[in-house]
Amino acid sequence: MRPSLKILVLVKSAVDEAELKSDASGRALLAGAQTKISTFDKNAVEAAVSLKERVGGSVAALSLGSQDSRKAVKEALAMGCEKAALILSDGPLDTVATSYYLAAQIKKAGGADLIFCSEGSSDTFQDQVGAMVAEFLGLPFIPYAKKVDLENGKVRCEQILDEGVRVSEAGLPSVISVVSEANEPRYPTLLQSMQASKKPIEEVPVASLKGPGLPGTAIEVLDVIGHSVARKRVILEGTPEEAAKKLVDELRLEGAIK
Amino acid sequence: MADEVLTYSEDPALAAEVSAAGLETARALGGEAAAIEPDDAPAGRRASSKTIVAKGGRKARGDEEAIASAISEIAKARNSKVILIGSTKSGRAVGARVAARLGIPSLGTAKRLQVEGGRLVATREVYGGKFLARVAARLPCVAAVQPGTYQPGPAAESRVEVYSVSLKEPTVRTLEVRPKPSNSVDLRSAEIIVSAGRGFAKREDLALAEGLAKVLGGAVGCSRPLSSDLGWLDEGRHIGLTGVYVHPRLYVAVGISGQMQHLAGVKDSKLIVAINKDKEAPIFQSADYGIVGDLYKVVPAITKILASPGA
Repeated sequence: MRPSLKILVLVKSAVDEAELKSDASGRALLAGAQTKISTFDKNAVEAAVSLKERVGGSVAALSLGSQDSRKAVKEALAMGCEKAALILSDGPLDTVATSYYLAAQIKKAGGADLIFCSEGSSDTFQDQVGAMVAEFLGLPFIPYAKKVDLENGKVRCEQILDEGVRVSEAGLPSVISVVSEANEPRYPTLLQSMQASKKPIEEVPVASLKGPGLPGTAIEVLDVIGHSVARKRVILEGTPEEAAKKLVDELRLEGAIK
Repeated sequence: MADEVLTYSEDPALAAEVSAAGLETARALGGEAAAIEPDDAPAGRRASSKTIVAKGGRKARGDEEAIASAISEIAKARNSKVILIGSTKSGRAVGARVAARLGIPSLGTAKRLQVEGGRLVATREVYGGKFLARVAARLPCVAAVQPGTYQPGPAAESRVEVYSVSLKEPTVRTLEVRPKPSNSVDLRSAEIIVSAGRGFAKREDLALAEGLAKVLGGAVGCSRPLSSDLGWLDEGRHIGLTGVYVHPRLYVAVGISGQMQHLAGVKDSKLIVAINKDKEAPIFQSADYGIVGDLYKVVPAITKILASPGA
C-alpha cells in the first residue's frame, strides 16, 4: 500500500427537484430555485470517506459551479472530506466543458489515486462526467460500483450493470462512479457541520484553467416544462372483495386485461 | 455521401431501436445512417441500410474505453455529424468517452430527437421526471437513446463495410461476470407489471405479487428498497430513476408509497393502479385507479377473481 492514498470526490450543487415549482404555463422556475448537494453525490462522498476510514489516506472534494455551490461543498466537508476546491464559473457549462475543467484542476493539484463520483446527478441525470473526466485524464473508469476495495495496490469493484454483476479490477489512479445502492450516506452531526465551516475551500476561477483545445459550451436548454401525465385518480371503495371486483371491471373496460 | 449519423448499442435489441432513431435523424439531416457492430453481432437483425462491422470488436466486449476509442476513430474518419448510443449503463460510459475524446457536446438519455436549425434537440426527463427539458446541441454531437422509445424498423438489406479497429490492452480487467438470475426478466418490454414495495412485510409475502402477476400474465418489479436495501429481488427488477424505466400497458403498484424517484420510472405506463393502506400515499396522485386497503387482503381478492374460470 502506498503511504498516503489520495482520494478525491466530485460533488455538485443541484436544484432541489422536490422544491422545484413551475409557473402558470408549466415552465420550471429555475431562477432562484432552492439547491442542495446532488442526492447521489452523498453516496460518492460516503464511499470515499469510508474507504479512507478503512485503509487510511486523505479525502478532498472538488466541485464546479457558482458561489451557491459552497453549500454542497460544505455538506461534503461535514461528511468527512478534509478540504475542498471549488471551480467558479459564471454561467452553466455543458458536461464536456465541466469535465474538462475538473480534469484540469485535478492535474493542477497533483492528481489523485482514486476519484469518486456518483452515477448521475439528481437534477438532470446525464450520467457523463465520470467517464469524461477519466477520458480527459487518460484513466480507467469503473462505472456503477456497488462495492469498492483496495487490494495489492489495485482497486477491485463490484459493478451493477444491465447484464448483471461484473467484478473488475484496475490499477491506480482510477475513476469510479458509485451507485446509490452502494451505501447509506452518514448524517453529519451539528458539531461536524460546524467544524466543516472551518475547513478550507480553495476557490479556483474557471479562467485560470483555460488551455488549448478547450471545448466551449455547445449546448442550450431551450425549455423545461412540467411533465405530468393526467391520471384519472379514481379511488375504488368497498370491502377488499368489492374494490377488487370494481378494479377488474374497470381494467376490462379499459382493455388493459382480458 | 458521408454517413451523417452513426449508431451503436452493445445490446442487439436496443441496437435496432437506435438504428431507427438514426435513420430518422439522418433523414432530417439529408444524409445516411450507419450502424456500428462488433464482428460477432448476431446476423439478420440489421435495421440500418449501412452497417460498419468493427473488425476485432468482439475482443472489446465490456471494455467501454476500447469501444469508445473505436467509435471515435470511425466517426472522425467519416466526419459524422451525430453519434447515437443506446442508453444502457455501459452505453452511457461509451458515449461520454466518445464526446470527451472528440471534444463535442453530448446529450444525456433522450426520449425523442429532432433536428432543428442545424442542431440536434433532445427531449429528456429532468428533475426526477417532474419536468421535460428540450436541449439543443451543436453538431457534431453525441446523444444517448432511451430504450423503448423508438420502434425498430424491419430488418433491411444492409451494405456492409468492414473497419479494422486498433485495440489496446484493457485498463479495467474483468475478473468475473455474474449474470442476472435466470428467472430475471427484461421489464423494459413487459406489457403488464406488478410492482412490490415496502408495504410487504416479509420476503415470502412477495408470493402474493407473483401470484397476481401470474394470473395477469405479467412480470414482477419493485421499488428501490426491495432490491437495494433488502435484497429481496435482483437489481434488474428495480424500477425508477436509478433503475429501469418501464412503459407497460398496465402497472400495478402494490405497497409502494410513490417516491418521486420511483414515479420517474413508471411515468410512461398506460394505466397505473395503486394499492396502499395509507390513503395519503403520493402514489394515489399518480394512479388511474386506487384501492385504499390492506394489500394482504386486496391482492388475493383480485387474484381470486382473475383466476376463477369464466370470471
